[in-house]
Amino acid sequence: MSVTHTPPLNSTADGDPMPDQQRTAPAPVPARRGRLRGLAERHALLALLIAVIAFFSLYPPSRDVFFTSQNASVLLGNQSTVALLALAVILPLVSGYFDFSLGAIAAASSVFTAGLMSFDDLPLGLAMTAGIGIGVVVGSINGLLVTKLGLNSFVTTLGMATLLGGIIQWYTGGQTILAGLDPRLAQFGSTTLFGLPQVVYVVAVAALALWYLLAQTPFGRGLYAIGANPRSAALVGIRVQRSSWITFVIAGAIAGVVGVMALARAGSATADSGTSLLFPALAAAFLGATSVRPGFFNVVGTIIGVLFVSVSVSGLTLSGASAWASPVFNGAALLVAVGLSHYLGRSRGVRTT
Amino acid sequence: MTATSTETGPSAASAAPDDVVLRISGLTKRFGATLALDGADLALRHGTVHALVGGNGCGKSTSIKVLAGVHRGDAGRIEVAGRSWHVDDYDPRAGRAAGLRFVHQDLGLFPELSVAENFAFDAGYPTGPAGKVRWGALHRRVAELLAAYEIDADPRTPVAALRPAQRTLVAICRALQDQEGDQELILVLDEPTATLPQHESDVLLAAVRRRADRGQTVMIVSHRMPEVLSVCDDFTVFRDGRTVASIVGTRPTERELVGHMTGAALSRAIDAGTVAGALDEIAPPVADERPQAAPPVAGTHDAAVVLSVQDLRGGPLCGVDLELRRGEVVGVAGLVGSGRSSLLRTVFGEHRPAAGRVVVRDAAGALHEAGDTCARMDAGVALVPEDRGGEAAFAELTVRDNISVTVRRKYWRPWGMSAKQEQADVAALVARHGVRTSSPEAPFTSLSGGNQQKAVLARWLQREPTLLLLDEPTQGVDVMSRADIYATVREAAAGGTAVLVASSDLLELCTLCDRVLVLQDGRVTAHVTGAQLTPDHLTALTQSTAEDPAHTGAA
Repeated sequence: MSVTHTPPLNSTADGDPMPDQQRTAPAPVPARRGRLRGLAERHALLALLIAVIAFFSLYPPSRDVFFTSQNASVLLGNQSTVALLALAVILPLVSGYFDFSLGAIAAASSVFTAGLMSFDDLPLGLAMTAGIGIGVVVGSINGLLVTKLGLNSFVTTLGMATLLGGIIQWYTGGQTILAGLDPRLAQFGSTTLFGLPQVVYVVAVAALALWYLLAQTPFGRGLYAIGANPRSAALVGIRVQRSSWITFVIAGAIAGVVGVMALARAGSATADSGTSLLFPALAAAFLGATSVRPGFFNVVGTIIGVLFVSVSVSGLTLSGASAWASPVFNGAALLVAVGLSHYLGRSRGVRTT
Repeated sequence: MTATSTETGPSAASAAPDDVVLRISGLTKRFGATLALDGADLALRHGTVHALVGGNGCGKSTSIKVLAGVHRGDAGRIEVAGRSWHVDDYDPRAGRAAGLRFVHQDLGLFPELSVAENFAFDAGYPTGPAGKVRWGALHRRVAELLAAYEIDADPRTPVAALRPAQRTLVAICRALQDQEGDQELILVLDEPTATLPQHESDVLLAAVRRRADRGQTVMIVSHRMPEVLSVCDDFTVFRDGRTVASIVGTRPTERELVGHMTGAALSRAIDAGTVAGALDEIAPPVADERPQAAPPVAGTHDAAVVLSVQDLRGGPLCGVDLELRRGEVVGVAGLVGSGRSSLLRTVFGEHRPAAGRVVVRDAAGALHEAGDTCARMDAGVALVPEDRGGEAAFAELTVRDNISVTVRRKYWRPWGMSAKQEQADVAALVARHGVRTSSPEAPFTSLSGGNQQKAVLARWLQREPTLLLLDEPTQGVDVMSRADIYATVREAAAGGTAVLVASSDLLELCTLCDRVLVLQDGRVTAHVTGAQLTPDHLTALTQSTAEDPAHTGAA
């Protein structure tokens, strides 16, 4: 990330007369054209989503099942965990940090919530609290390692993810936890309200809350400032370390909720490392960063990103594509999203050091 | 030599032309409207240590950059070891082949890698079959070189573990490592001691002198007069892009040298005909500054005193005392390493002082002692840092975001941020401070340097600070914006804000400030006000040694 119009500042006292004339402002972009282009850029993903929906609604192999309320209900219900995890993922990303452990946190939360009920006969409320608590604890450890000790967030959270994966294996013995779960949880996961699964409303509430936090509070504005330049942020009185640490904690807590929600949807907890959740969530977050507020991770864009990927995959599946279509589409979408945001010159280059 | 040079010293005539291994003649370089070099000349004699000195912006760095090939000269000739080029044909590779070697202030070392590997990146790794690095051979060779240069270090030590002077010596040794057989290399050191503490630079210069005594030709560009005077044989003084003196084979006094730099010497010398006699009379007029300069002795009970710093120590600061009153614009002059920026940053709470007190009075009159950056901001302190791109700008955010970042809490309502009020405030600030932008929603990087700086100032001035700290406020700023920024600062001061400006641009300090403190080796060594406030006088004060009693004001 370089500030293109700022000349390299020379720290020597011997400021040789530098050519001021060579530093004139760039020609102002024709405002109207710029605004139109900006508008197109902001809504390109939404337009693409609508186009995909229209296509599969008309495409003969899928049109009978695709544009139905049942399909919408199934699709949104199945994608709720990915959507919520994507919301968790963008929080550290806004302030410039990766958190790769969020998928593993969700998996751990799921397994421990199930295990505490199944092995230790704990009541549902306590088990859920423990599951979400794991997310909070792991998130705060991640945050401390990355912000206080200044470790590389990419590597640190990757290590944490691997470690959690091992603990999950140890705790479950590689088995799926099925028996002894409180039936109310599975019931919550499968019940619909106004034609949509209840979990969708959980995601909606979380999205609203995060949108408010990121876009409508001074704290959220500060996070974007940290993401843009942590040095500058510190010098305008933003508590950089504390704010970044908080994003890891909130993200961990949300990932804990994702785990409980996954358990509610599936009715069982598998010994899984959580990558199957994490990668689509990352793809959605990066896709989201190309729209609504291009160049910045944002809540609305992320939700559109999740919908775009899941609708496309659903349409492909209903059109008879094989099981491999989903990961191929996810991966391709992620590559295109990252490439696009780089091409647009707005890539914020998430710090990996 | 050439017509523009003033030769002094008894041995001037002994500089036989064939002795000269590097000659620059009539070098001219123009940047836009600014003439950085205006027919400068320089002759470096074989086996000598040659000092190139001059005030800020005199062109000495530009001339080094032309030699190193960073800039291409507009006119003039360069001659290295008997080969001569017009600047148009001069190719830095040719200069290198002829024997020019540079060690810049940024040494270009890889701190994490070993000394040996730092050498190998320059000269290549010795390799055996299948491209395997022959570590034994590399370490042996580097150990020999280090021994030859009297650097007490192991080739396997990481460079970061070396002392600062050793690092510079390693860079020098690396630059000269291919000096073998009869080829004579010319070593150019650009501000080698600027960031070194005194004892480190003594070590370094002693080592350079020993090399020179064995026949190494060295050119040193430096700000530090006592240092060049202690090691150099010849002196070339630049002023305004011209050579105003070349002193060969004799050591001038510091006063003479500074006199050449400020121009006082030249005019007098020409008038008087004899240089030596004139120089004694042109002592910087400091005798009468003491009475005005003495800062008010008033303590923190004086309500007009906004900032009171007492015996501040830490980093380069070794006991700074100063007081700032409401509405005052005070400058801080000093060389690189004198502690200018450190002073500002310590006052802003970014650095914790090792000792001493920093007391700030807020708008309500309450006093605040220790505190971090946030506490300082709450007490009404604002800092515009030197490195705009690295420490002030949020490059990808909008101009609006960049301006309102310091007051973002003001716009928060339970139902969200008040975008309307924020936009109105930012629009008003943009208009008031003359920030030229296509829209407040444009990315910050779309602004020119000057407009970025105006926006950063607006960011702080909307908080109506009681104390505004400016570090190099017009670095990389165009002339028009510079005038706007001066006007803005003066206006803020008129409104009661106390302003502390650190700058390497002495003209700027004279234009902007009511009084200027001279910082030397971490101490305030002089206060300058009124008619004394001229760039030449400030140059003399910043360059002089702290021991010289004539230059010492209130310490």
